[in-house]
Amino acid sequence: MGYISSENKSTTPSGGWSDLWKQEDYWAMWLGLTIVLLVILFWSNGYNFMNWIVVKIPTYSDFNTAMSYLSSHKTTLITLYFFFLIVFSIAIKALTGEVKRFLVGFTFLFLLSVLVSVWGSWSVMKSYYVETPLLALVVGLLISNLLKIPYWLSTALQTQFYIKLGIVLMGASLPFTLIVRAGSTAFAQATIIALATFLTIYWTGTRVFALDKRFAATLAAGGSICGVSASIAIGGAVKAEKQHVSIAISLVILWSIIMIFILPLAIKALHIPPGPAGAWIGTSEFADAPGMAAAAAINEQAIKTFTLMKVVGRDMFIGIWCFIMAFIAVTRWDKRYAGTKPDALDIWLRFPKFVIGFFLASIIITFLAASPNIVTSKALDNNIINPIIELRNWAFIFTFLSIGLTSRLKELASVGWKPFAAFTAGVLINIPLGYLLSVVIMGNYWITVK
Amino acid sequence: MRQDKETCVQRTRLFFYFFEKSNWATGEKAPLDDIVKVKKVSSQAVRYLNNFLTTRLERIATMMELLTEAHDDWAISGKKDYILMETETYDFNNSIKILNKQGFDDSEFIVKVEYARKWGVL
Repeated sequence: MGYISSENKSTTPSGGWSDLWKQEDYWAMWLGLTIVLLVILFWSNGYNFMNWIVVKIPTYSDFNTAMSYLSSHKTTLITLYFFFLIVFSIAIKALTGEVKRFLVGFTFLFLLSVLVSVWGSWSVMKSYYVETPLLALVVGLLISNLLKIPYWLSTALQTQFYIKLGIVLMGASLPFTLIVRAGSTAFAQATIIALATFLTIYWTGTRVFALDKRFAATLAAGGSICGVSASIAIGGAVKAEKQHVSIAISLVILWSIIMIFILPLAIKALHIPPGPAGAWIGTSEFADAPGMAAAAAINEQAIKTFTLMKVVGRDMFIGIWCFIMAFIAVTRWDKRYAGTKPDALDIWLRFPKFVIGFFLASIIITFLAASPNIVTSKALDNNIINPIIELRNWAFIFTFLSIGLTSRLKELASVGWKPFAAFTAGVLINIPLGYLLSVVIMGNYWITVK
Repeated sequence: MRQDKETCVQRTRLFFYFFEKSNWATGEKAPLDDIVKVKKVSSQAVRYLNNFLTTRLERIATMMELLTEAHDDWAISGKKDYILMETETYDFNNSIKILNKQGFDDSEFIVKVEYARKWGVL
C-alpha cells in the first residue's frame, strides 16, 4: 500500500500506532482534512486566501492571453507552489525523510504542471479532445521513455500519495447522502463486474494457460477488484511468489495506461453522457490514478461518478476479498502453509485508510451545508467547495504527470505472453460488461448523479 | 522477470508463539488449556507447562539462530506471547526451506507475507 524507498535500508518492524504517521494512506487523510478545515477556517474568519491562491488557467486561443494571465497571477502561482511544497514536505519527511531531494524534484514537477496546464487550456488542444490530464500523461510518458529520470526527480513522483490526497479532497464535493445512496448501487454494479472478470481471468489462467492458482488469483484480483492494491493484497493473502505479484502489477499498469486513452475515445465516439461515462470508467479501469485521468478527460460529473464507482463501489471492499481468497487458499488449495489461518482483523488492516478521509471530508461539508449559519448554498460553493476542487485538480495534475514519468512501457511489457493473455481475457469481459451495466442498463440513473 | 524490474517489495513476517502451535501432534495439547480459567489447577498441568515452554522456547531460539545465520537483515520484535521476525530482503520460501530442512515443521511457526509497491509504481 505504501511508498517504498528503502532500496538499501534495513528492515524495520511494522505495524502499531506508528502506521498513523508512517503510511501514505494516513498522510493523505491528515493533509486532505487539514486543507478542508483550513479553507473553512479562512472563510469563516473573513479571509479569501484559499480562493486567492488557486489558479485556474482559462481557455485561450492566442498565447498572449495565456502569458498575460500568467504574469498577472505570478504571486498567486508562487504562493500556490509554496503551499503545496510545505504541505507535501511534512508528509515526505515522515514517509521517506528525503525532503531536500523532494524540494528540487517537486519544483520541477510543479513547473511542468503549470506548463502542461497552460498547454492543455489552449483551444486548439481542446478541439482535438486533448484535455490536460491526457496531455500530462503523454508528456510524462515521452520524458520517461526517452530520457533517464534523475533520482532527485523520482523522489517527487509520489503518484499514490497525490491521488489519495485528491480523492480525500474529492469527498468535500460529494454530499454524504449522495455517497450513501449512489454507493450501494455502485457496489452492486461493481461486484457483478468484478466477479465476472475475476472468474474469467482465474479460469483462463488456470485452465487454459496452466498458471499456478495463486498467480492466477493475483492476476485476477488486479484485473477485477482494484488494480495494483488488489494484486499486492491478494498476493500476500494467498502467499503468491514475488515474481508473480510483480508481473500482475506490471500488467495492471500496462492495461491501465492503455485504457486511459481507449475509454475517453470510446466515450466520445459513442456520445455517452458524462455520468454513465464516469461509472463505466469506474468499473472498467484497473487503478485509481489512471481511472481518474480518464474521467478527468471527460468532465467534473464523470469524476464524481467514477469516484463513487471506484472508491466506494470497489476499493473499500478489498479487505473482504482478501479474507475470502485467504480462506479459499488455506481450505481449498494445497495444504502448503496451512498453519496460517485467515484473520478477520486483516479486513481492517487492508482497508484503504484514505477512504476514511474521503468520507470525513464529505461529512464535514454536508454538515456545514445543513447548518443554518450558511447564508446560501452558493456561498458554500464559491468560498469552500470551489477552492477545494481547484486544489484537488492540481493534485490530479501532479498525479497524471507522475504516472507518465514513472511508467517505462518497455519494462512493463516484459511479462510473458501467458499472463498477458489471461489478463486480456478479463479485459475483454470487463469492458463490454461495464458498458452494458453503466451505460445501457443503469445509464439513466448515473445521468442523475451530479 | 528480472529482479531489477520487479515492481513490488515482499515483507515476510514469521511469528513464533510461545504457547501456541497451529497443529498439535499426537499426545501434545495446548499447555494453558488446563491452567487458564480452570478452577482447580493441578500441579501436573503446571509441570506440563514448564516442560512445554522449556522445549518450545529452545526450539524458537534455534529457529531464530538459523534464520539470522542465513540472512542478516531481520527486524526482531518481542511481544507478550510471541517473537516476530520480519524482513523485506529475503524470500519467504527460503526461510521456510531452511526451517523445514532442520526439522521444524509448519506447525511451529506462522508465516505471513505482505507486498507493497516498489518505488514509483502507481
